[in-house]
Amino acid sequence: MILTSSNTLENKEIIEYKGLVTGESLIGANIYKDLFSGVRDVVGGRTSRYEEEIKKARDIAFESMNEKAKQLGANAIIGLKVSYDNLGGTMGNTILVTAYGTAVKFE
Amino acid sequence: MRRALLCIGVGTAVGLFVYGIFLYLNLAIFGWNLGLIFAPLAAGYVETILANRIIGENLGAISAFILFIDTTFYSFILKNPTLGWNFITAGSIIVILQAAFPTAVNYILLVVIGGIISTLINTFKITGKKVKYAIRNQRLFTWEGENVEVETEAVPFFDEEKSNQKINNLDFYFITSTDMKDKEHDIIGIFNSEVILEKGSDLIKLNPEKIEQEKLVNIKNGKDECLIKLSEKIKRNGGNGILDLSINYALIGFGGDSIRISAIGMGVLIKD
Repeated sequence: MILTSSNTLENKEIIEYKGLVTGESLIGANIYKDLFSGVRDVVGGRTSRYEEEIKKARDIAFESMNEKAKQLGANAIIGLKVSYDNLGGTMGNTILVTAYGTAVKFE
Repeated sequence: MRRALLCIGVGTAVGLFVYGIFLYLNLAIFGWNLGLIFAPLAAGYVETILANRIIGENLGAISAFILFIDTTFYSFILKNPTLGWNFITAGSIIVILQAAFPTAVNYILLVVIGGIISTLINTFKITGKKVKYAIRNQRLFTWEGENVEVETEAVPFFDEEKSNQKINNLDFYFITSTDMKDKEHDIIGIFNSEVILEKGSDLIKLNPEKIEQEKLVNIKNGKDECLIKLSEKIKRNGGNGILDLSINYALIGFGGDSIRISAIGMGVLIKD
């Protein structure tokens, strides 16, 4: 599955637009994770636990989106958009990761 | 870094000064000097005010932590007042820890203790139900048998495949790119639609995973509804597609208690 945020696929011809595909994932609040990241916030530096969680959530969203594109018979996704939104929760750590794009078939 | 250290240093100095005043005046209850509570608070307060003014962000009240270490070391190791264990001592320890680690202690007080109380209440409720079912000669959470009352906890589920088919069988083009190659189109205009989801209270979570899953399912259903509303709006205006589609999620309402899902894009009539 080729993923691109551009309108076209370089050196490839799009023969059919299959439709919209989306993937969503939510990182929930976790007391231990929050406490440890809180310590890192005081000390400074990167909170690698969050980075891992966000990466995991993004992978889930991408996987869901790719699966849907395959179901539609597509072999690429163009106009890809990814967003990370804070949905509050305890200490504001509930993060929604969304990925969506247009599934297409190319030759 | 230098300015951050300055803020922490000033906060610590103010905290030590406050502790000195409390020691000098001997402001104590049952042998507990109140400076143990107020000195870290003063240090953290001064540091936070300074940091917000000078750096523009909160440093996490590091001076309160330093004061906590200093005062505890002085009071318990150097001075060793040989305090007895009583209700005042226990309460003071909690308040001192709260002053030094506000986030952690608030979490323990609100989430952990609140969760334990809620779980105990829930356990009493389930036990009561079990007794009721035992009297009726019925079983709780029974999966087989006729005329048996079954109580189960619904697991939130979202059918991704069905949702995908529903959105893509609307006879409508949802395109996230700004153009469709080799397809002519007439522009109709900018269209948008919104769906508001009530988020609900989640201060104490008995089952956080289930609540998060419910929230995600609601968001996915809300997104589908938002896209369907958008397609219907464009269809009513003579279009059959949308270009440069963008879907956004945001918290709205007092205290961010609701989630707004919006979809926006350029409504077009695509000529096949």
